[in-house]
Amino acid sequence: MTRPYTVGLIVPTGIGAAIGGYAGDALPVARAIAQVADRLITHPNVLNGAQLYWNIPNALYVEGYGLDQFAAGHWGLLPERSNRIGLILDRGIEPDLQLRHLQVADAARATLGLNLTDYIVTDQPLNVTLKTAKSGATWGTIEYPDSLLRAADKLIHHAGADAIAVIARFPDDPESEALQNYRHGQGVDHLAGAEAVISHLIVRTFRVPCAHAPALSPLPLDPNLSPRSAAEELGYTFLPCVLVGLSRAPRLTEFPNPHAIWADEVDALVIPVSACGGSATLSLSQTKTRIIAVEENHTKIQVPSEALGIRSTIVKSYLEAIGVLICDRAGINAAALSAEIVSIQSQLLGT
Amino acid sequence: MTTDFITIAIPFQASVRELHQAIDQELRAFGEPLRWAITRVTSETVEIEAVVTRD
Repeated sequence: MTRPYTVGLIVPTGIGAAIGGYAGDALPVARAIAQVADRLITHPNVLNGAQLYWNIPNALYVEGYGLDQFAAGHWGLLPERSNRIGLILDRGIEPDLQLRHLQVADAARATLGLNLTDYIVTDQPLNVTLKTAKSGATWGTIEYPDSLLRAADKLIHHAGADAIAVIARFPDDPESEALQNYRHGQGVDHLAGAEAVISHLIVRTFRVPCAHAPALSPLPLDPNLSPRSAAEELGYTFLPCVLVGLSRAPRLTEFPNPHAIWADEVDALVIPVSACGGSATLSLSQTKTRIIAVEENHTKIQVPSEALGIRSTIVKSYLEAIGVLICDRAGINAAALSAEIVSIQSQLLGT
Repeated sequence: MTTDFITIAIPFQASVRELHQAIDQELRAFGEPLRWAITRVTSETVEIEAVVTRD
């Protein structure tokens, strides 16, 4: 018997990843990797497709801040059958749009049987501000983070929520070039960086699973909509995938627990080759985890593994990465599958 | 609490461990790091974009 083969899959959010930079369009990659792993640890940007989602039984849905803490060995992941989800609605959301989101929550309870607590509206509008940095990555800030944290505190400590879904009102800008590019499968998700900031705040403060869905006005029909962006235009909200993901998201623990998964159990991490400068990747690169860097998933930034001194296996595509994972899991040297094998006679270790 | 976006540059470090520690230390001069990423790297410097919080 061997221990469960565990793979991490990261597609950083808000950097224009060619695969996974749009509407949950790395989900097929996650589904494929989950077939060759016992456990897949990944994050909302990979699994969230707005109205679309997929239940991957051996996948663990871990928000980015939690993922960073997990990779650093500070937190363990406790798989969970069911979480009670508390819903936070930004006071800045108009009544009709708020009602749309509450109807999604009702649908998730009635149609999927999910457990939700009472919901709460923040005591101030959160006032999200979006920013695109010099690198091309998107970021964001919120004017009233304390209001967000007060709402989460009430849901966790008074309503018994195990996980938090946040819906913040994001600025509508239907004519912007950034949005047009995004809808056409180009450029960077201009909302993504701010979304991450919101969920990071809650996970850092309360150590509970959290994910975010932006509230936006419906967009006019676009006949040239990219397939990679289409999942976000099927309905009025981006909330269904968040509720499904959180319903089985692992709990986060700082303490030893026989059921918890820790960073030293991660056998491999799959990342875009140009985006190796995140905290989780830096942490796992200092362990025995095999870093597999995918060239085809290009991004707006250029921080390759070799420039940082990270030892990695560079592959062209996710298909090739899956081949490497299969070999790794089976204990097969992937080089043995190539036509040319270098003789050991040329590999004398100096004394 | 406020959330602030910042960009910093630090000297390249010889090991990933030292680099990771240096980033954390430099960011803490501006607040509590919430989210960050290296967005540019040369043989001499590493640029980091981040959001930090301040009370």
